Amino acid sequence: MSEEIYTAEKKKTFAADGTEILFFTIGDKTYGIEIEFINEIISIEQITVVPKIPDYIKGVINLRGKIVPVISIRKRFGMEEIPYDDRTCIIVLEFETGEQVGVIVDRVQEVVVADKSIISKVPDSKNVNSNHYIKSIINNEDEIKLLLDCHKLVSNE
Amino acid sequence: MAKFEAGMESMVDMYIFETTSLLEQLDQILMKTESEHSFSTEEINEIFRTMHTIKGSSAMMGLDNMSKLAHSIEDMFYVIREENPVISDMNALYDILFSASDLLKAEIELIQEEEYTATDFTPAMDKIKAFAAVLKGGAPAAPSAAPAAQTAAPVQASAAAPTASSDNELTTVKVMFDDDCKMENLRALLVVNKIAEDCEKLEYIPADIETNPETSKDIIENGFIIKFKPSSDMDIDSVVGLIGECTNVKSYEITERGRSVELVGRINVKVTFEEDCKMENLRALIVINNIKGSCKSISYEPSDIEENSATAQTIIDNGFMIHFEADDPKSVIRSINGSPNVKCCEVLSSDSTPAASAATSAAQAAAPAQAAAPSSSAAAAQPEKKSVEQINNMLGNKGAGAKQSLISVNLNKLDTLLDLVGEIVITEAMVTSNPDLKGLRLDNFQKSARQLRKLNSELQDTVMSIRMVPISGAFNKMTRIVRDMKVKLGKDVDLIFEGEETEVDKSIIDQLNDPLMHMVRNSMDHGIEDNVEDRIARGKPAKGKITLSAYNSSNEVIIVVADDGAGINAQKVLEKAERNGLLAKPMSEYSEKEIYNMIMLPGFSTNEQVTEYSGRGVGMDVVKKNIEKVGGTVSVDSKWGEGSQFIIKIPLSLSIVDGMEVSVGQSIFTIPINSIRESFKVKPSQLIKDTDGKEMIMIRGECFPLIRLYDIYDLTPGTEDLFEGIVILVETEGKCACIFADELIGEQQVVVKPFSSLLNNFNVKQNGMAGCSILGDGSITIILDVANILGGF
Repeated sequence: MSEEIYTAEKKKTFAADGTEILFFTIGDKTYGIEIEFINEIISIEQITVVPKIPDYIKGVINLRGKIVPVISIRKRFGMEEIPYDDRTCIIVLEFETGEQVGVIVDRVQEVVVADKSIISKVPDSKNVNSNHYIKSIINNEDEIKLLLDCHKLVSNE
Repeated sequence: MAKFEAGMESMVDMYIFETTSLLEQLDQILMKTESEHSFSTEEINEIFRTMHTIKGSSAMMGLDNMSKLAHSIEDMFYVIREENPVISDMNALYDILFSASDLLKAEIELIQEEEYTATDFTPAMDKIKAFAAVLKGGAPAAPSAAPAAQTAAPVQASAAAPTASSDNELTTVKVMFDDDCKMENLRALLVVNKIAEDCEKLEYIPADIETNPETSKDIIENGFIIKFKPSSDMDIDSVVGLIGECTNVKSYEITERGRSVELVGRINVKVTFEEDCKMENLRALIVINNIKGSCKSISYEPSDIEENSATAQTIIDNGFMIHFEADDPKSVIRSINGSPNVKCCEVLSSDSTPAASAATSAAQAAAPAQAAAPSSSAAAAQPEKKSVEQINNMLGNKGAGAKQSLISVNLNKLDTLLDLVGEIVITEAMVTSNPDLKGLRLDNFQKSARQLRKLNSELQDTVMSIRMVPISGAFNKMTRIVRDMKVKLGKDVDLIFEGEETEVDKSIIDQLNDPLMHMVRNSMDHGIEDNVEDRIARGKPAKGKITLSAYNSSNEVIIVVADDGAGINAQKVLEKAERNGLLAKPMSEYSEKEIYNMIMLPGFSTNEQVTEYSGRGVGMDVVKKNIEKVGGTVSVDSKWGEGSQFIIKIPLSLSIVDGMEVSVGQSIFTIPINSIRESFKVKPSQLIKDTDGKEMIMIRGECFPLIRLYDIYDLTPGTEDLFEGIVILVETEGKCACIFADELIGEQQVVVKPFSSLLNNFNVKQNGMAGCSILGDGSITIILDVANILGGF
């Protein structure tokens, strides 16, 4: 809940001059998602398996009466899955259509307001980023982080 | 929606709804009359009234362009109605009417958008006016009609009333409207229209309220003055009462009460009978017998009607005169009107000679009894009929008198209600199958729980039935499309409906319009042969046939769009699919059915030429998408040379099913109860294996295939031992199979929640999953779509 309130307030203050990004880690890498797509963050809960769907979709969860599909970023990125622990979170994304999708991540880090100047484009090439999961690259002094494209993350192409 | 004046916004929805349904009605009338090649008086009146209503309400909303267009059509029909011209060019008339109706519909669509600018209808209006002028030129204008055409026609048409007019028989009423109600002139017009039918004479000040919005100010300052003389079977007070019932009327006062000349003392009445009713003298006698009891004194001429059959001719020529005195003259007149075969009954205030009344009979068209029943063909002026007509007129001219018991409800409210009922069902399950109750013996609790369940299911049924509407509405829209395409493509086609009274959830109907339209277009354009010779050569009638049928089957509604056209050329489809790179396996491996269904893939269109109606390859995949959105399926079947059919199956109710829960390992599946025939434990003697080792189960001499759920869904089962788990025999669409699961959990009503579109992309539906639902303990169950599971076997 606390995250929700936090983001709502932040949105008002900073939306104009920079992009707010939530960072989370998968293994030793840090990725970001723009906060406007994030509805809430919940801890991992019972996932009901839906048969005959790609294995990166882990199933569906009951989010206060709504049935929300959940995908595993590890599986999506072709990484080894690790057992869920108390830091494992589901980031619930909400798209313009009102559709919600949960994303399982290892742990959530922080929300950062990224100024436009530190966001750079991904090179347009057939060899790198061919699945277009990466939307842009954030070059923040000490560390380089990758901003993910939510739409590509959940599309089935 | 800044385009409407403040205070009007709340009315926009109502206006759109009303006008749309009026336009739909109009289309239906036009379609009907076009196929009959003639207008009946009733239909002309109906069109006239429809246009009149649209005109009035559009003007009220400030949509001048629509109001004017409707006005010009109204004018044209006024000419048709009053002068009965011989319409030589019916086709041109229909073209004008249909295009006008389309323009109005398009405008309604536009209004609903944010950025709205009024469309200029001048070209269409010029056309209509030109046509009306031609019509008028064709028949000499009746002198009385010309001035009346300018204003509210039905009102002034009665100016030729039989009795001499003098001011003192008119009652004057001053009407004031609510402050700030806006558009007083049009509200005044509504009042006038409401009472027009019940008045023999009607005048009002200001007179040009319909055309001159400036009169509003006048009305605000001085009030709206109505002078009227009620028709013979209405009295002054009931007309005044009608005025009071009108919306936004703040106050009304009778400033001058008219003299009810004809209804005191001795009353002279002239009765005419229906033409060709024969034996007028005896019919006159029946009338006399009918009213004798309620009259103090009575005399009539000709007086020897009983003995002299020759008087029949006199009555035909001069009418039948009755002189009577009565306490309640109105009821006497009513019973005269109600007598069999009476065409009309005129009240003559003074003694008039037969000759004089013969002269007035020319004005019979405006006689009171007929003024109320606008159709001259429905000449029998029986009071019952009249009152129904009046109610209809007051209610905007549609439906029967029972209309008053209907209300229109915002669909959102019904959706909320349905959601709530769904939640109640879930909560009920949470309570009654609460884990805390396990092992307890609670007889009274169980009794109450059963009662609750019964009530809940009744509540559910009621809410569902509220949302059910017959599919005929969606079907009727197709007549228009077929009609237009018939003209454009030059194909002669009959559109036939079957089972249009089948009821479907309103939200599904809304989703059906587009798919139906695409399919009908498809059938018209690609299905029915271009050349009539081709049809005849194949031994089919020259006229094509498209059939729309709907029927219920278990828990589904099945809608079939069938044509008797050329059918689908499987080879051509396959080649095209290959060219477009839509094939997923070698060509030879496709079954005929699979090939037909390829036409619904995105980006597929077999038509070589792109026509106005189809050929861009967006049609059929839209159909599929829309149908799947409501949880339905669509399939194609065809026979080369004989026609093709599209079969849509949609769930009857979207939301709540009775289900049997079964477990498979960690997962819980729900099988809809209406597809379950029985469940049982298998004995070793029942198991049969075919040469490939595939399993079958023999039940009472019949053999069914066995489907292991864990097998088809790649799950880890609790048990693989067939004799340990449970087998459920399911049946749907005539197909049967046994489903093997770990164990039965129980029966429960579940609320179907559709899968999100992310999952729908992976054909969950085709894999036998209809949706999911939340159980009492918060866990999720997957609802099986038995038809699709069986389809794979």
